[in-house]
Amino acid sequence: MYKRKRPRTSPRRSLAAVAVIGLAAAGLAACGSSSGGSGKATGTLKIITWVNPPAITAFKKIDAEFEKANPGVHVDLGSAENVNGPYKTLLHTAVSGSSADIVTLNQQVQPLPPQMTTSNLSEWQDWAVHGVFAPLNGQSYLKDYTSAANATETYQGKQYGVVSGMYQEGIFYNKAIFARYHLSPPTTYSQFLTVLRTLKSHGVTPMWLGLGAVGPTYLQFIYYPLMHSLWGAKLPGGNIATALQKGTTKWTDPAFATAMSEEKTLGQYLEPGYTGEAWQGMPGAFAAGKAAMLLDGSWDLATVQQANPKIQVGYFPVPGSNTAADNASIGTYDLTFSIPNASPNKTLAEKWLAFFSTPKIYSQYVDITGISSSQTSGTFNSFASHVLGSYFGKAALTSTVLPFLSDNASYWDQPANWPTLQQDVINGSKTPQQVGQLYQSGWKVSG
Amino acid sequence: MSTGVNPAGGGAVSPAARDAAQPGTATAERPAGPGTASAPAGGWLSRWRRRRPARLLSMPSRLAMWGGVVLALGAYTLFGLVPTVGNALISLTDYQDFPGEPFNFIGLSNYTDMFTNERPGVTAAIKATIIFVLAVTIVQNAIAMMLAHRLSGPGRTTAILRVLVFLPAVLGVVVGGLIWILIFSPSGGPAASVWSLFGASSSFFGSPSLAMPLVIFVQIWLSLGFTSLVFIGGLKAIDPAIYEAAQIDGIRRWQRFRRITWPLMAPSVTANVLLAVVGAMTVFQTIYVLTDGQNGTMTLGMLSFNTAFGTGSNLAFGAAVSTSLFLVTLVLAVPLMWILRWRERRLLG
Repeated sequence: MYKRKRPRTSPRRSLAAVAVIGLAAAGLAACGSSSGGSGKATGTLKIITWVNPPAITAFKKIDAEFEKANPGVHVDLGSAENVNGPYKTLLHTAVSGSSADIVTLNQQVQPLPPQMTTSNLSEWQDWAVHGVFAPLNGQSYLKDYTSAANATETYQGKQYGVVSGMYQEGIFYNKAIFARYHLSPPTTYSQFLTVLRTLKSHGVTPMWLGLGAVGPTYLQFIYYPLMHSLWGAKLPGGNIATALQKGTTKWTDPAFATAMSEEKTLGQYLEPGYTGEAWQGMPGAFAAGKAAMLLDGSWDLATVQQANPKIQVGYFPVPGSNTAADNASIGTYDLTFSIPNASPNKTLAEKWLAFFSTPKIYSQYVDITGISSSQTSGTFNSFASHVLGSYFGKAALTSTVLPFLSDNASYWDQPANWPTLQQDVINGSKTPQQVGQLYQSGWKVSG
Repeated sequence: MSTGVNPAGGGAVSPAARDAAQPGTATAERPAGPGTASAPAGGWLSRWRRRRPARLLSMPSRLAMWGGVVLALGAYTLFGLVPTVGNALISLTDYQDFPGEPFNFIGLSNYTDMFTNERPGVTAAIKATIIFVLAVTIVQNAIAMMLAHRLSGPGRTTAILRVLVFLPAVLGVVVGGLIWILIFSPSGGPAASVWSLFGASSSFFGSPSLAMPLVIFVQIWLSLGFTSLVFIGGLKAIDPAIYEAAQIDGIRRWQRFRRITWPLMAPSVTANVLLAVVGAMTVFQTIYVLTDGQNGTMTLGMLSFNTAFGTGSNLAFGAAVSTSLFLVTLVLAVPLMWILRWRERRLLG
């Protein structure tokens, strides 16, 4: 029986189909994510941030409420892991591609070095100085924030961002373990050593820290407070960073050597193998009771609470000095919002910032993220506010401890290499004096 | 004894094909037509016509074929060549991807800075890269060769083992890396428990002495499946009649490997060694997941990523590091390929 063969598709038709698909794909790829012009208060608002789980939760809640209050508006929250890793790439592409309306970062514009060059400014500073961000002067909500917070985002009279809060670093301790061994939060270095020895003598890991996959940069939880209380206390305004930039102090200062000696001592009370412990596992390990104390920032408190809702947590700053008044909580302004000048929807972005700054929404944000407030008033009920207690919102800034380290600086003064020598001090492979010499040998004064 | 091997490489041909092919002919007989035996002798046109292959495809088919070639070349140019050339051009400037900020041509400053200023630890990265490449290439191929022998046979167990060996490649770098981070967790991972049986403890990926060997181990574990697969394909392409003939001659196991298997696997060895070297030179994903380049594991690939996108990022300098890496890889890979291909020709005749 003859069967008519199904005609094969002509190669010409195949080619034509491929060409059409290819052109359509090229056309779609070429299209940007337009949200309909910079002057409308509707459309899509694109916000980008890095993955800080409590902050993401807070953003999503706020965005849903913003959409409800503004029918016709959709908020698109983009995120990437690790503020220093993939998020940096996202930030670059969003700013250079003008695809984001609000960008967030953990850096601020100030303090700027006394003499600015292209090699001693951070990216954020460089962008602000070169007008990449829209000035927010005149926005009514700015008066709700502290003058200190606003000042860190101001350059030549123009404010380029809103600092949403401050995270605080130090020691978070397990109250139940402290009570078991009749310990109180220490306020001086000697008291702190007593606490550490007592815990260790009972077989309890005194402190938990994880450097796995992040490296010695997380030793900052130790060296920042020690530098501040031993070295900063001797300098005008407690500002080590400015003094180093101006050359009025040096890395070879004996106070810095003392701080590193104490760092070496404290390093003996960390859990074995801390250099290989994953940094992401720190809050969970503490919540599971693997150590009496956790060296960390308040951004991880929400995770600790989630991992163990029954844990009772207290806080004290790392006391490096035997003069209690010299010891202070260390904080860093974080989650700063800025609107790029080339934002597709600037009006909507300003509206979102105003909505964010209202008391109800802002306190909700503080309660969820655990960040310390940067507004002048408000009532907060976060786990972090209870843990930090009287220290909540009061801290010496990390920017006053360590100056900006440029990738163009000499080897040991680069941000990737500077912390490595701190690890060498703890390991005993270098003395504090040797480390001070190495930092100073290539240091360039910029004031 | 003729091995019946195709001089062009790729293993032995089957006995039927070997019998069918006449020495000295490279193609099947062609039907007579224009440009073949009836064309006048002499003259460039007639020589060209004799050299032209017969038209096996119709015009529409050839158009479709060339269309595919053009599309592939276009995609390669757009996503391969253009970024490579762009990257090299950026490395000659101080471009930092700051919107609105002008950038300047600075010549070879980024390249000279790599060695004169020791800016991002290039020398240490080069040492780490050499160790990483040598270890991964040699160990990975040796283990894959042994596994291929075991896994090329028939049987259900062998099939299951093949799947298990290939599983890491399916899991991917991130999942695979996280598995090993958990295994080597100093505070309760299985490896720490085993270590403690010997009265020792280690921070594993946090240890300057162990971090690199462990990263090499994980990289090999991830790539072993694919490497074994290539060797299995090479083994299966060897005519069993050769082994049968050798067995009749009383050849021993090691001689069988050295004199038959190893030479006939030359093309597979070429492919795997080249892929291992080039892959190891440029890898950064595994290192990023496991150690972020800490504790002596900062290779050139990881360095170029960190320099361009990490803390204190410097895009133009990162471009210089990655362009240097590209050139070094090229300088290594081309002679290596030459040597391996020469080896193939020498072994296969």
